[in-house]
Amino acid sequence: MASIATSSVFFPVSSSLKQNQVSNLKMVSLSFTGKNFRSLRLQPSRFRVACAAKPETVEKVCEIVRKQLALPADSAVTGESKFASLGADSLDTVEIVMGLEEEFGISVEEESAQTITTVQEAADMIENLKAKKA
Amino acid sequence: MTSLPARSEVLSLFRSLLRTSREFSDYNMRKYVKRRTIDAFRHNRNLSDPAAVAAAFADGKSQLGMAKRQAVLYSFYAPRAKNVMEINRP
Repeated sequence: MASIATSSVFFPVSSSLKQNQVSNLKMVSLSFTGKNFRSLRLQPSRFRVACAAKPETVEKVCEIVRKQLALPADSAVTGESKFASLGADSLDTVEIVMGLEEEFGISVEEESAQTITTVQEAADMIENLKAKKA
Repeated sequence: MTSLPARSEVLSLFRSLLRTSREFSDYNMRKYVKRRTIDAFRHNRNLSDPAAVAAAFADGKSQLGMAKRQAVLYSFYAPRAKNVMEINRP
């Protein structure tokens, strides 16, 4: 973190940073936002959500899904599993989203809840909502 | 009568009922409302007759209104202590 701050002072030398044409002020403010700085650097090359969900979040989501659909504990539920392929109908999906809301203390809106189809999407959405709340 | 509810409306009603169940201050009411809505929606899953579907949906909406009112009334007499079922015994 300290090295980034010093490089922003030596303005001409910061050729390694992509946003070097930007005014100095912006660079200083970016260096404070530790996690987000890296994602903003990559934006010119590819547009993608930088922070994927943590494994323990995915694991908790899998656990809730298993409990709701009454699957055995060793069944294959991964980030890529779709709820429909695990045997969940739309009512099950609503119950799963409710369970996730209670487990993680978040509140999901209607539209976002209708579009969740896989475990990974649910975990990502949880991370986003928790980050926004914090 | 084209008052047949869309799939999203039915799911929205389901979600609203589950959300309302969380607002109850009484443990028993919370569990009952949740259990009853899940049972009722699963029971009526395979309705095909549009009149029956519309009737069930209208019934659900009136139940939602009643649950919301009851949640407010129950909050006036909220219990002071946590229900024994909710205490996590270490």
